[in-house]
Amino acid sequence: MKKVLLYLDKNRPQDLSLFAASKMLVKDEACIISAIGYQEDLPLGNSVYDEVMIIDEKHVMAYDTMNLTALLKQIQHVHHFDIILFPSTPLGRILAPRLAIALHVGLVADVTGIDAHDGIVELIRPAYSGKLMAKILIKGEGPLMMTLRPNIFTYHSEDVKQTVYQTLKKHEPKASGIILLETKQKVAGKDIRDSKVLISGGGGVLHQFNRLEDLARVLNAVVSASRRVVDSGVAHRKIQVGQSGKTVSPKLYIALGISGSVQHIEGLKNVETIIAVNTNKNAPICSLATLVVEGDAIEFIEKLLVKIKENNLNFKEETQ
Amino acid sequence: MKIICLIKFIPDVEDFKYDYERNVLIRENMKQILNPEDACAVAFALTVKRFYPSTVIEVLTMGPQSVSSKMEEILRLDVDHATLITDKAFIGSDTYATSRVLATYLKSSSVDLILSGTHTLDGDTSHVPAQIAEWLELPHVSNIISINMNSMDSGRLVLSVDHDQTIMTFAVPYPSVLSLSKDSAFKMPYVRYDDLNKEVSHRLKVIDCAQLGLRKEEVGFDGSKTQVVSTFVKTMTKKDKTEVKIDEAGLQSVIDLLKEKGVLA
Repeated sequence: MKKVLLYLDKNRPQDLSLFAASKMLVKDEACIISAIGYQEDLPLGNSVYDEVMIIDEKHVMAYDTMNLTALLKQIQHVHHFDIILFPSTPLGRILAPRLAIALHVGLVADVTGIDAHDGIVELIRPAYSGKLMAKILIKGEGPLMMTLRPNIFTYHSEDVKQTVYQTLKKHEPKASGIILLETKQKVAGKDIRDSKVLISGGGGVLHQFNRLEDLARVLNAVVSASRRVVDSGVAHRKIQVGQSGKTVSPKLYIALGISGSVQHIEGLKNVETIIAVNTNKNAPICSLATLVVEGDAIEFIEKLLVKIKENNLNFKEETQ
Repeated sequence: MKIICLIKFIPDVEDFKYDYERNVLIRENMKQILNPEDACAVAFALTVKRFYPSTVIEVLTMGPQSVSSKMEEILRLDVDHATLITDKAFIGSDTYATSRVLATYLKSSSVDLILSGTHTLDGDTSHVPAQIAEWLELPHVSNIISINMNSMDSGRLVLSVDHDQTIMTFAVPYPSVLSLSKDSAFKMPYVRYDDLNKEVSHRLKVIDCAQLGLRKEEVGFDGSKTQVVSTFVKTMTKKDKTEVKIDEAGLQSVIDLLKEKGVLA
């Protein structure tokens, strides 16, 4: 019987990817799957989980990773989980490594693939900005710990169990000294995840990135960017597509001067149609495209805008 | 105030070369750069020093001996000390072993702030700063996008963190481990022209495994809890596609596709 603990984070309460990944890890073996988190992030009533543990905010806040780690360590010493999974959210990415040190176990970050065979678990993750994939083995007794990229593993099932709920009591945190002064909701711009048409720019349009807006206006689309553009400071991280950005699902994705690192392509898993414009028609993204336009992306924008005007074409209102 | 900046020199990922036949990364002649977010950390430390000239800044890295020239470049800014932890025994260290080595050194230093980037472009695990904080039992805050310089004197540092859907502002105590985001406004200055060839090597300290008091089995492959089995480049599934150029016919096929998809009418 395998025991699995899943940390459910604020940002992705309904995300079943941790649950899906735990199913891949335990395979056909019998298992008990427990979820842990704060009240507002947890399911209510019956759920896919066997057990739900609720952390009391009065005892430890999520941002206080030092004390949250101490609490999780205490729980592990009581329950002896075989597998502990975290989402690769901003919090999961700093909480999981602390717990790994506290438990003296290995940790693999941003897992995108799981290969479990003959009692061996090999974990696949991108490195070098997604240009390289690495297969990693965790040594030692366990528990097996990793963080998982949200939206990569999916689970579809109506199976609902009689979930047992318990509130974690009695935890004496040390004073961490971190004081929360203010929480501000970010101003909601148009989310690239909600757009039906995306005009996305990469290194090839880095120096004239604002030209993408001209095309976006005419096609009633939203502009997104590759990591290269974001890292150069030309575009904001919130419009970044890819593994360290957002996973998008427009019906049309126009990739301008994007070569298409594995990491970028991870963000395009559910895109219907891709038009790739690139000086190199053999760039990785072109193998995913329905239509490849070989040439300079800025020249493409200019000429396409002229052509659209000549033909007196307009965007259809319902594209957004 | 004493600040230690954790920095890492990484292969320039834009300059990525791969041997597809042997399935290995070609490391020869690969340009090494300072990880961009670590540069933000150093830049913030330099900003503090401008406000408070008595601030002492040390940069700390673990890596091959070959990065010492890169460390010297940073010493030509207003950085006081640089420490390079290097030993053949460290080869193969995962984040567990790496954080242990760095934390061992940091335990022996008295420090008010430990700064780092949020993630590195090569490994991109974000583990090491959080793991160091755990080894040292210090609070840790990551994804920092702004720091209120006026709060420096108040006993706690006020800073803002990007938490996906929210921006959270915290007051953090000293000492803490703080990881800066690329979206923070701190940019590395250039070395002053007069300092370009300044002799700084006497301010670079080089430390090995034995000097840290660590046993060889606690570091490197043996001291690691994870192991890279293989690396590979993902191959894409080929799709039926049309290839065109930016000419009349090519643009027409783009227009046709835009119409077909209901984007234009």
